Amino acid sequence: MSSAKSAAPADDAGDRQVEMWKIKKLIKSLQKARGNGTSMISLVIPPGDQISRVGKMLADEYGTASNIKSRVNRLSVLGAITSTQQRLKLYNKVPPNGLVIYCGTIMTDEGKEKRVNIDFEPFKPINTSLYLCDNKFHTEALDELLQDDDRFGFIVMDGNGCLYGTLQGSHREVIHKFTVDLPKKHGRGGQSALRFARLRLEKRHNYVRKVAEFATQFFITDNKCNCVGLVMAGSADFKSELMTSDLFDPRLLKHVVKTVDVSYGGESGFNQAIELSGEALGNVKLVQEKRLLQKYFDEISQDTGKYCFMVDDTLKGLDLGAVETLIVWENLDINRYTLRNNTTQEEKVLHLTPEQERNESHFRDGETGAELETIDKIALVEWIANNYKNFGATLEFVTNRSQEGSQFCRGFGGIGGLLRWQVDFAQLDEAMHEEDDDEWGNDMDGF
Amino acid sequence: MADEDKKGALNPNAKSFTFNPNASTWAPPAAAAAPPAQSQPAAIRTAQAAATDKVTDQLAAAKIASQAGEGSDDEEPIDETDPLWQVTLRIAGGDRARAKRMLENPDALMAHPEIVAVIDATAAADDAAADEDWETAASPAAAHSQEAEETAAAAAAAPAAAAEGGAGGDKADGGEEGDEGEDAEPEPAETTETAIEEDPREHLNLVFIGHVDAGKSTLSGNILYLTDFVDKRTIERYEREAKQRNRESWFLAYIMDTNEEERAKGKTVEVGRAHFHSDVKRFTILDAPGHNAYVPNMIQGAAQADVGILVISARRGEFETGFEKGGQTREHALLAKTLGVRYLIVVINKMDDHTVNWSRERFDECTSKLKPFLRSCGYAVKKDVMFVPLSGLTGANVKVRVEPAVCPWWDKLVADGENNTQQGTLLEVLDRLHMDNRDPAGPLRCPVLDRYTDRGTIALSKVEQGTLRAGTKVMIMPTKQVTRVEAVYINETRVSSAKTGENVSIKLACTEADVQKGFVVCDEARPCHASKTLLAQIALVELTEQRPIFSSGYEAIFHCHTAEEECAVIDLVSATDKKTGKVTRRPRFAKEGGVVTAKIRLARSVPVEKYDDMPQLGRFTLRTEGKTIAIGKILDFKNE
Repeated sequence: MSSAKSAAPADDAGDRQVEMWKIKKLIKSLQKARGNGTSMISLVIPPGDQISRVGKMLADEYGTASNIKSRVNRLSVLGAITSTQQRLKLYNKVPPNGLVIYCGTIMTDEGKEKRVNIDFEPFKPINTSLYLCDNKFHTEALDELLQDDDRFGFIVMDGNGCLYGTLQGSHREVIHKFTVDLPKKHGRGGQSALRFARLRLEKRHNYVRKVAEFATQFFITDNKCNCVGLVMAGSADFKSELMTSDLFDPRLLKHVVKTVDVSYGGESGFNQAIELSGEALGNVKLVQEKRLLQKYFDEISQDTGKYCFMVDDTLKGLDLGAVETLIVWENLDINRYTLRNNTTQEEKVLHLTPEQERNESHFRDGETGAELETIDKIALVEWIANNYKNFGATLEFVTNRSQEGSQFCRGFGGIGGLLRWQVDFAQLDEAMHEEDDDEWGNDMDGF
Repeated sequence: MADEDKKGALNPNAKSFTFNPNASTWAPPAAAAAPPAQSQPAAIRTAQAAATDKVTDQLAAAKIASQAGEGSDDEEPIDETDPLWQVTLRIAGGDRARAKRMLENPDALMAHPEIVAVIDATAAADDAAADEDWETAASPAAAHSQEAEETAAAAAAAPAAAAEGGAGGDKADGGEEGDEGEDAEPEPAETTETAIEEDPREHLNLVFIGHVDAGKSTLSGNILYLTDFVDKRTIERYEREAKQRNRESWFLAYIMDTNEEERAKGKTVEVGRAHFHSDVKRFTILDAPGHNAYVPNMIQGAAQADVGILVISARRGEFETGFEKGGQTREHALLAKTLGVRYLIVVINKMDDHTVNWSRERFDECTSKLKPFLRSCGYAVKKDVMFVPLSGLTGANVKVRVEPAVCPWWDKLVADGENNTQQGTLLEVLDRLHMDNRDPAGPLRCPVLDRYTDRGTIALSKVEQGTLRAGTKVMIMPTKQVTRVEAVYINETRVSSAKTGENVSIKLACTEADVQKGFVVCDEARPCHASKTLLAQIALVELTEQRPIFSSGYEAIFHCHTAEEECAVIDLVSATDKKTGKVTRRPRFAKEGGVVTAKIRLARSVPVEKYDDMPQLGRFTLRTEGKTIAIGKILDFKNE
């Protein structure tokens, strides 16, 4: 994942992102799938392996499977193996990144049986060899692909408590959090000042010890640090006290890449620590994501007009070819409906949230009230992933895990874009605003 | 002259204060002058100090009553009929000179039982005489009769009136107000645990704010030193300690910075507290840290304050860095206003520095730059902001006015009232302030600043509204737990009640885990509200570079009184553009400088009130990544 030094690698990175998103989606659907009996085959061939060897193994399996007693099960297993062999035949050698094949019969939501045959080359080398016949597809190997290699550990320590977290790709996780009650500066009546100072020092020392011990517990596995780098964050001097203390594991000390000053502990301190240590973290996905959104917010705050948000504006922008970078929340829950009026043969496209879907009026013709036929229903994110190239845009997926991401998803509908030139959407979407008002108006009734 | 001053302050032994009843009525150097008191436990000392005040007050009263114009201590005529004088004279064996000396040293004087008896008698007589006088009618009488203690509590509304009197009269001379001090009954050592009636003198919380290294701790330390609330031995020890660290000018700051790491680096981390009093007022000093990493600590301190003392360094370059964008001068001034500071005293410090040299140009430069900014923060610069040039290190203009030879222009400025005050020194200015927004009759509200265990659960707090009485039942919000107030302490002295504005330690009958910072101790019958979902009006002061727009989904830290909570904006209801004044309904986002009405969700519920009902609990600040981004007031909330 080299950084975007020139245009070409940036495009690659963008494509890879889309690729990753597609795999993520695929994994999700595969994980959900459940089959009849143990007839679902997961096959992963690492790069450098031979197709013929795998072919032979499948032939052997076929022989073994023909001894299965239950007729139904035997037939379905044999069927699955046959289709796997067919898929394998499409390749004359193992692709550079290895090969992944999933075959089997799954039960759909409607209770029907559906044949699934999937074969693809992963976007980066997959270092696993796997053949399994089970009642579900095994996707653990693919999960590994999605994880960034660089894992960073965070220790956020202040006078009220300590938080241990990790950042890997766009995945931010709090491993552990505890609070502590240290004596404050306020003098206590009747207590000797010296005694109080000593008690205070002792408590602080114990706290540092506890933090150091937990750090070893969380960040050392198999006698070495399980993170590429450690970031120490905190207010006051605790973090430097911890670093210089001999209680702190020297194996961890080597990995400390940065110490930053944050003004709060806890989650907020964690966020700030990520923000401040951006440079040391290099190209971690979350940091890239934050930068992209910061650029987007900058456009908005400077009022350049070269931005768009919400589904309708963004799609208009795409149609105009004005969108340079399309930013989409990876879990955007909006479906794209293609509806047809059977009397007039008119077709129209709607983008609806699950809430709006429940509103029948969207599926009826405004004038006649006739029911519209749904020709196609697809998740908007998927549609965008398939079609963004047609609009000359690059696609970036973001999560809602960073503060910026959360703001983008909540405040701007989870979809938006940076434009090549200024577009005035205002005159086009007055109607939308009115609709908005009704919808939001009810919110205030709670008060 | 400035050099001489400096030398004097650096070497405290060289300088001692003479008691001059005309300037303003300060207590004579009680602690320093009474060596036996130092070895006694603090509680006894407090009682004695109170008694000392009484003597002082009486002395002042006696002196002023018989004194017409200007005059020094030595020449003043003595009221021969004054019983105190007569008794003193008797003890002195008829030696007038000796008696006079004794009067100068009230601590030692209190050791004589006859004196105590005389003072009690005069106090009672005063009460009888002052029956018609509203000023004294309320509490002093009660203080002297055991059974009247309860009735005094009932009449606790009166201190408001008394407080008004305390600062109401523009010429609130010590003589006139001296009798207020009599209320603090001299308690013998054995009975210090029984609650005494509260001191009726008005109480002010002062918070020292400003950029790092502006001299906040040094100034607070020097005030304590000049008002004799730190004894000489301690000062000498600090001086030695500071010398060891090669930081000789830090010794005054060591009075406030008690932690080891604070002293080592010369940076305050936690808010320091100390108490001192004048004849007309009692003060609590809250010394806030100036470093930007400790702003959350500063907020806690400022949340308790009535008066902000904005310390500005006049030294070349230091004023500028503090004042530029991101400097704490700006942030603190703004925070103080939103946290409910009523008056702001801008102190232009380090006037003795060689780059400044008490130059009028520098003073004017600082004030003229500050004024528009303070106005933009919402201060009424004409009314509520005062400017005083001083030197925290030498003490010039803190208690004693700067020598006209050093600073010729200051006297004229004072006479003209150009800095909104007719007083020349910081302490005089403080004596004239009066808090008018206190409501001792309202439902009780005490936001908890901190708590600890010391033979029971002790919560540190300030009474924001109502009157706190020992023995009453209270509710702790937001947990709605009902508990009992076992004891109330003001400045480590047990009292039966504390009125609005007091800084108190409350001993509660619950466990330590039941009380937390940010909780509010309130009236059981009329508890405070607690909510997670707020509707608020928010002024976006300064957004971060990373997130230059404010929209729903924006996450920040919410600070309200002493509470601190993570929050997220759920919804923007309306926005007003700063430039055009145009109001947009349902905006998608808002930018820096805008004013929005928004719905906020907090991670946990926090005790709050509507701004209109109680501003102290209805104001808040939003901060993120070490910057204050917005200030706001609570319009409404969802009850939970």
